[in-house]
Amino acid sequence: MISGLLQILFFQGLGEIISKLLLPFLPGPVIGLVLLLLWLMYLKDINTSLASVADTFSRYLGLLFVPAAVGIILFIPQLQQNALTIVTALIMSVVFAALSSALVLRWLSPDHPSSNENSAQAKDQHD
Amino acid sequence: MTESKSIIEIWVYLSGSPLLALFLTLASYQTGLWVYQKSNHNPLANPLIITIALITTSLHFIGMSYEKYFQGAQFIHFLLGSATVALAIPIYRGIHELRGRLFPLLLALCTGGLVSIFSSVGLCTLMGADQAITGAFYAKSVTAPIAMGIAERIGSSPTLTAVFAVLTGITGSVLVPLILNAIDFKAWWQRGFIIGIVSHGIGTSRAFSINTEAGTYASLAMGLHGILGALTVPFIYKLLNP
Repeated sequence: MISGLLQILFFQGLGEIISKLLLPFLPGPVIGLVLLLLWLMYLKDINTSLASVADTFSRYLGLLFVPAAVGIILFIPQLQQNALTIVTALIMSVVFAALSSALVLRWLSPDHPSSNENSAQAKDQHD
Repeated sequence: MTESKSIIEIWVYLSGSPLLALFLTLASYQTGLWVYQKSNHNPLANPLIITIALITTSLHFIGMSYEKYFQGAQFIHFLLGSATVALAIPIYRGIHELRGRLFPLLLALCTGGLVSIFSSVGLCTLMGADQAITGAFYAKSVTAPIAMGIAERIGSSPTLTAVFAVLTGITGSVLVPLILNAIDFKAWWQRGFIIGIVSHGIGTSRAFSINTEAGTYASLAMGLHGILGALTVPFIYKLLNP
């Protein structure tokens, strides 16, 4: 666990340094993510300590943005004024993004049209 | 007399230390998770929304300002960067799946990402939203931890961006399965990938609970969408706000 955390902090620090010195438009943690990914692809293996830290993080990812998200109380007047716009933009962007990416994926897929071996029961089981 | 005085002293001490903010955050999150489990993982009973509602209500009740709360809760906030780096692991686990499907998957990802930004920012502009609101829509389509980093870079509010990202995840995990059913989109890997692009973290954890293949593709899409967003959103922002 500790060694996994150390590896993540190392890549995070590396990302922050590169972000400060070379690529100021990219957030440091994203650079750290890409570097760690390249490192894993080079190693072709994930050590158990790193895997357990990563799984813990992804399990409780929601908790980590709570402190920032509570800041919503500072924006309540703007949210009320723009409520209709916000709801419309949220819903429509989800619909457009899902439809467009699904259609692109269908047209370009090698095994067109969706002939995955375990797809027959997909529709029944999914929701 | 002395007793009530000492209670006040304890209260002053507690509200000055990070303890209270940390306890409040964890206790609210635990409650949110509990309600979510009791509701049979209904996406509308999202644990984060419950947590945020509980904390804001409590802060209002005990008269603690957001700045003061954040001073204590920043220890949790700090881990967000580490969690972002840790997203490399799910991407690595799914990356072998790209073999032979690289081109269609990446093109679907770019399409979904761009359509999402332009449609939401376009609608906000058309309907005359505040600058702060429109700015927060640029990065909201990617997973919240990365979205907040992007928001900082383009000078929009990380808070609003995070909240819109979570709301997008909730909306997506309700709507995307219905949309995919409507257009008869069946293969698990394809369904998972679209869910990951559109409804990132929340959709991905749901996809995992339904089918492992869908979950793997969803977390791959979520991670790649985060990287794509970090690379493109600052330029799109500059392009539209010269």
